Amino acid sequence: MFLRTVYNTIFRRSSAFALSILVGAVFFERAFDQGGTALFESMNKGKLWKDIKDDFEKNDNGGGDDDE
Amino acid sequence: MMSVTARSGLLAQYLSASSQVVATQLRPTVCLAAPLSSKITLAPRKENLTTESLKQLVPKCGNVRVSSGPHGPMQVRYAHTDIQYPDFSDYRRQPVSDPKTSSEPSSVSRRAFTYAMVGASGVVGAYAAKNIVQELLSTMSASADVLALAKVEVDLKTIAEGKSICVKWRGKPLFVRHRTGDEIETEKGVDVESLRHKEHDDERVKRPEWLILIGVCTHLGCVPIAHAGEYGGYFCPCHGSHYDTSGRIRKGPAPENLEVPEYTFSDDTTVVVG
Repeated sequence: MFLRTVYNTIFRRSSAFALSILVGAVFFERAFDQGGTALFESMNKGKLWKDIKDDFEKNDNGGGDDDE
Repeated sequence: MMSVTARSGLLAQYLSASSQVVATQLRPTVCLAAPLSSKITLAPRKENLTTESLKQLVPKCGNVRVSSGPHGPMQVRYAHTDIQYPDFSDYRRQPVSDPKTSSEPSSVSRRAFTYAMVGASGVVGAYAAKNIVQELLSTMSASADVLALAKVEVDLKTIAEGKSICVKWRGKPLFVRHRTGDEIETEKGVDVESLRHKEHDDERVKRPEWLILIGVCTHLGCVPIAHAGEYGGYFCPCHGSHYDTSGRIRKGPAPENLEVPEYTFSDDTTVVVG
């Protein structure tokens, strides 16, 4: 049974339990941070620099050439 | 009292005797024997056995208290069969919802669930603790604007071979020198053991033609003059320290070589110091 396997491999020994918490925290951090960023970007769509970048960089390229 | 004395080994015989005295010292019997000289007459029994009628059967001589046994007064508990037990089925897990079945077969899966909950909160707690500590420590480090000013970029195209320039970096003079081939050859050939501060030229430059130094004399902090002194490198006018074209102390009071800062070549013609 699945739960029995999980119990015997992870929860039975405190060392394995603590280690699995730390390893889980690494993956959780990555998932949580990326999820939060994705949520923020979807809620602020259209206001971020990467969304409006193209409008400015077209003008910038011309100006940059003049400077040089 | 009896419960104490009964445990005291050798005296148990005497004390057991006294315990009998105590046990027989029931007030009703004493009272019956001593104060009442006349014959006790009980009230005629009433038909209905109320509390009051039963009370009249009891000899009237103060409080009646029956004590027996080693632990003093005893209570009699009457089992009530009409108590409604609360229904805990809402709080039981599904495998143990039936109290008549054994909980043993499902114990591992229930424990696994409990530990999984503990572990999940541990994961979230570790993440939160890590971020709290990280944020706390980041408040102690320099802010972004300070860090941005801590670097200086030098354009190497403007420095001709054999020339040396001085720029300001973190409030100190920074020497950038384009060394000639002769100078490089001379410095690489110097016997390290003969130096006061033993450093080979290779340890002090990343690219042999570019020498980058902090222009503060290691003696008392004056700014040395470039292309001066007996070794053609730097000469400190304050107390006469002579540095060679690798910035190493060769003559005079300074104890150490001129300091080399952290720097990287971002491309062939640009060096970033800091």
